[in-house]
Amino acid sequence: MSKRRGCLVAFFSRDKREVGYVWPVVFAVLVHVVVVMFSVINLESKDAEPEPSSIVHATLVSTETYTDQAQQANDNQVTSNVPSQPPEKTPPQEEPTPPSRPLEKAVIDQAEELAEARETQALEEARAKAEAQAQRRTEEAERRALEAAARETERAEQQAEEQRRREELARQEQEAEAQRRREEEQARQAQEAKEQRLREEKLARQAQEAEAQRRREEEQARQAQEAAEAERQRQLEGQAEAAADARQAEQAANSFIAIVRRAVEQAWLIPGGASDTMTATIQVRLGPSGEVLATSVAISSGDSAFDRSAIQAVEHVAPFTELRELSAEQQRSLRQFNLRFTPGDVR
Amino acid sequence: MNENSMSIPHLVMSASPVVQLVMLLLVLGSLLSWVVIFQRSFALNRANKAYDQFEESFWSGVDLNDLYRDIPADDARQGAERIFQSGFREFHRLAAKTGQVDTVLEAVQRSMRVAWSREEDRLNQHLVFLATVASASPYIGLFGTVWGIMGSFQSISMAQQATLATVAPWIAEALIATAMGLFAAIPAVIFYNRLSNSASRLLGKYENFAEEFYAILHRNLQGRDTTSS
Repeated sequence: MSKRRGCLVAFFSRDKREVGYVWPVVFAVLVHVVVVMFSVINLESKDAEPEPSSIVHATLVSTETYTDQAQQANDNQVTSNVPSQPPEKTPPQEEPTPPSRPLEKAVIDQAEELAEARETQALEEARAKAEAQAQRRTEEAERRALEAAARETERAEQQAEEQRRREELARQEQEAEAQRRREEEQARQAQEAKEQRLREEKLARQAQEAEAQRRREEEQARQAQEAAEAERQRQLEGQAEAAADARQAEQAANSFIAIVRRAVEQAWLIPGGASDTMTATIQVRLGPSGEVLATSVAISSGDSAFDRSAIQAVEHVAPFTELRELSAEQQRSLRQFNLRFTPGDVR
Repeated sequence: MNENSMSIPHLVMSASPVVQLVMLLLVLGSLLSWVVIFQRSFALNRANKAYDQFEESFWSGVDLNDLYRDIPADDARQGAERIFQSGFREFHRLAAKTGQVDTVLEAVQRSMRVAWSREEDRLNQHLVFLATVASASPYIGLFGTVWGIMGSFQSISMAQQATLATVAPWIAEALIATAMGLFAAIPAVIFYNRLSNSASRLLGKYENFAEEFYAILHRNLQGRDTTSS
């Protein structure tokens, strides 16, 4: 009692000279926690490695074909993706450029034509003006001559005046005509330019529409491809699942057969006179709960004692209750099987 | 399924009750032994430092009466200081009462021996527990393993077909007990040796100090004896 109290005092003591137990306890717990953590972490990393089991071979074969398929599918995907992309990509960049090139040319041609027309017009005008001026000068000279002749007659003068006025009018008319013609020409040209522009716009719009259309089509194609891809993926998964199921079933069947074989092997008392090369195949039929319904010699070894010993071994081990653990389908397939007995196998 | 059934927590949980009890015992032993290891390490470290300090002040040429008076009477000291205190107290009491040198020296020696033996007891405290854990826990773990293997063989006899897969978890779970026993025992052995060694070294130092102190007192009394007679 007193010792325990002493212990307690020491435990809670804050005496400088006596070492308490609080910190040691904390440290000790810490050490253990660290060790446990390390062991857990190590085991987790070890778990990642595939563990060898007795049916590794079967598993490996099935996964090989399965992954191969997936690989092929992936390859297909890649190859189908690679060529389909470039041809779709290249045309859109070239398409908008060709229409713009002729358009430009046309515009330039037009402008040249326009300039020529304007030049010829200007020439014509200049000629007309020169003619008019010359005429006027001759007329003036005449008039001056007439005046110098001291006005032969008022009428003549008036006539000349009139004529001059008429000519002036004609000239003005001619000028107005020329002006009008020029304006008309310009208006026509403007209209033509406008039309040209409209045409260009239309072309651009059409190009744009074509682009949009193409893009839409592309999108649709891509979606279709994706859908197909998903479908394929699903199929693959389904296949994988089916493969896994099949594998499991196969494993179960394998294990059942292994159990039966081992049990029979252990129970088999090989008759003394049997040689290693003797072989007997016994057909076994099982009931639903694993009991042996019938055994018969499928292929005899030629030695009846040997055959009998094999049948006895099977009957000795029966019933095979493990059959009940399998699924109904497997049970049906495993109801009847053959067992081959060879002494060399066992020894 | 396989990785789950082979993880250590799963193995411990699925072990049989006896094996679980053994594991619990071993974990407890390991925990306590580590507590002892830390506590003793700190205590011995401190005692070593305290001894160095006291030795320095003792041999610094200070008057022993002053040194004795510096230690409060009600405050029990430890280590060499305690030996010095009890020896000097005895010397004081008897030297005043009797003039016989042999009686005084004998009483001083006896009291110092008692103090030393108390110090020995204090320094070796709990080290026995460490020794017990070090020697017993492998056997305890082995017992758990043997029990687990027995269970595994029973299960094999129950099973129709004895593959490695049916036996392996049982054996692994049984072997965990041995691993735990070794885990508890190895640090206990190492630290038991280390700590008991340093404790005995410290006790040797105390003994030397007691002898030296005894020699001083003897010289002192001898001188007084010759002057008085």
